[in-house]
Amino acid sequence: MPMSKRQKVEGSFRDPSGFIFIDKGVLYRQVNRIYADDYQRLMESGLYSTLIKAGLIIPHQEAERLPVEPGIAYKVIKPDPVPFISYPYEWTFGALKDAALCTLSIQRRALKKGMSLKDANAYNIQFYMGMPTLIDTLSFETYREGEPWVAYRQFCQHFLAPLSLMAFCDVRLNQLMRVYIDGIPLDLASKLLPLRSRWNFGIATHIHLHAIAQKRYSGSSVSNTRGSRSMDKNAFLGLIDSLEATVRKLNWTPSGTEWGDYYDKTNYTETAFAQKQRLVSNWLEKIRPSIVWDLGANMGVFSQLAAEAGAYTISFDIDPAAVEHHYRKLKSEKQKGIQPLILDLTNPSPAIGWHQRERQSLFERGPADLVMALAILHHLAISNNVPLPNLAELLADVGNWLILEFVPKNDSQVERLLRNRVDIFDTYTREMFELCFKEKFSIVESSQLDQSERWLYLMKKK
Amino acid sequence: MYIHLIDILFSGLADDLAYLDPGSGSILLQLIIAGLLGLGIVLRSQWSKIKRLFKRKEEDAIDIDADE
Repeated sequence: MPMSKRQKVEGSFRDPSGFIFIDKGVLYRQVNRIYADDYQRLMESGLYSTLIKAGLIIPHQEAERLPVEPGIAYKVIKPDPVPFISYPYEWTFGALKDAALCTLSIQRRALKKGMSLKDANAYNIQFYMGMPTLIDTLSFETYREGEPWVAYRQFCQHFLAPLSLMAFCDVRLNQLMRVYIDGIPLDLASKLLPLRSRWNFGIATHIHLHAIAQKRYSGSSVSNTRGSRSMDKNAFLGLIDSLEATVRKLNWTPSGTEWGDYYDKTNYTETAFAQKQRLVSNWLEKIRPSIVWDLGANMGVFSQLAAEAGAYTISFDIDPAAVEHHYRKLKSEKQKGIQPLILDLTNPSPAIGWHQRERQSLFERGPADLVMALAILHHLAISNNVPLPNLAELLADVGNWLILEFVPKNDSQVERLLRNRVDIFDTYTREMFELCFKEKFSIVESSQLDQSERWLYLMKKK
Repeated sequence: MYIHLIDILFSGLADDLAYLDPGSGSILLQLIIAGLLGLGIVLRSQWSKIKRLFKRKEEDAIDIDADE
């Protein structure tokens, strides 16, 4: 994307405290004068160092850079870059839950230092070094005893509503976050949640009762009544405790995944699978990509190889159960270089929000240095009727290098896909595939897997 | 049942002035449950004091905020 020299980043315009801009490809945040006191308190109260020590906030340096809007500027800071920005509708249940607990943990620490989160937005959390991390340094305000939590509604909409819907109804309901940019409306969550959720104290209070309160008192002024009744610090801490207990109790167990035992079921002999791993590894070593997108990664066997070759790897799969398993595995192994995300490649994340510029589409967040599309082409070409030229076009858009596995028609996996439908795929042959892909790529290397009909390709975008 | 309960809880708290604040329900709910939540914290801290009387050292206690 061609970029002017200094460009304000869309999506950080709501908060008058400051904004993000990019200067010569480097990301900066302007802190406005209006936020000077709170920024100083964050840095001097010890809160920032506490959060850094716990790995809960993005580290930043104060930069010498000139501000973009000097008239209102206080400082310019340079946060550490996050290798890939992801959104809650791409996160697995476990990731969203960890992001929620991270937010509450930050709030608890902030209160100890006399500050409080003024927003509890899921988009402010990103996965950095394998951990959920607050990326908006300007999220804090001075805590005034007696005041309720201004971000309570947002926390419930961005975290509690999707998590409870995923736990109580269906894990795919995280997709509602894609529709509602400020989190799932609580009246909608309340309507969708089953009756038994009302026996859960936290859900009954923070979702059901909260939804009713919002509806009945949306036009009321509370300012006149605050004096008579306020929320002391114990009550505030009690609220955070209650939210945390509610989040902790929400669980989802991924059962039989769509591809759960995929690696065992596929048509490789052990030697062919080892050969496939060896080839992929060699090619990764040769290209040394810094960002890899693994499309159809399942539980990440090949993402692991990319990470071992030094690439920050985004490991996409359509199956929430596989992604959840992968997330848990990486978390237990404390791995930092792989991010597992949910993605339906036939309908990838769009750009959403104001002017469709607040949250980027998947492709705006690319291209990757290298894309892996292993044993996925036949699903797209045959199960989803995507013609080969369209596949080549998409893959050329998302990456500069491509490692691709071609699965021919006589492979039993493809035979299975064709078992209950008319075969309209006369052009699905290896020759045709090469012809179509050569329009967009040059084939650098290719190799047939031992005792298999499958071929592996290394291609470079033209 | 919920509707009646919330009316009783909220009685006298909200006066219907004509300015729209979409967060007012959220603020009112916090003020309502504040007493209950605060009580929980107080009881918990008392309970841990009592427990400490019977336990010399709580070596296994896991404090998720043990950062300082």
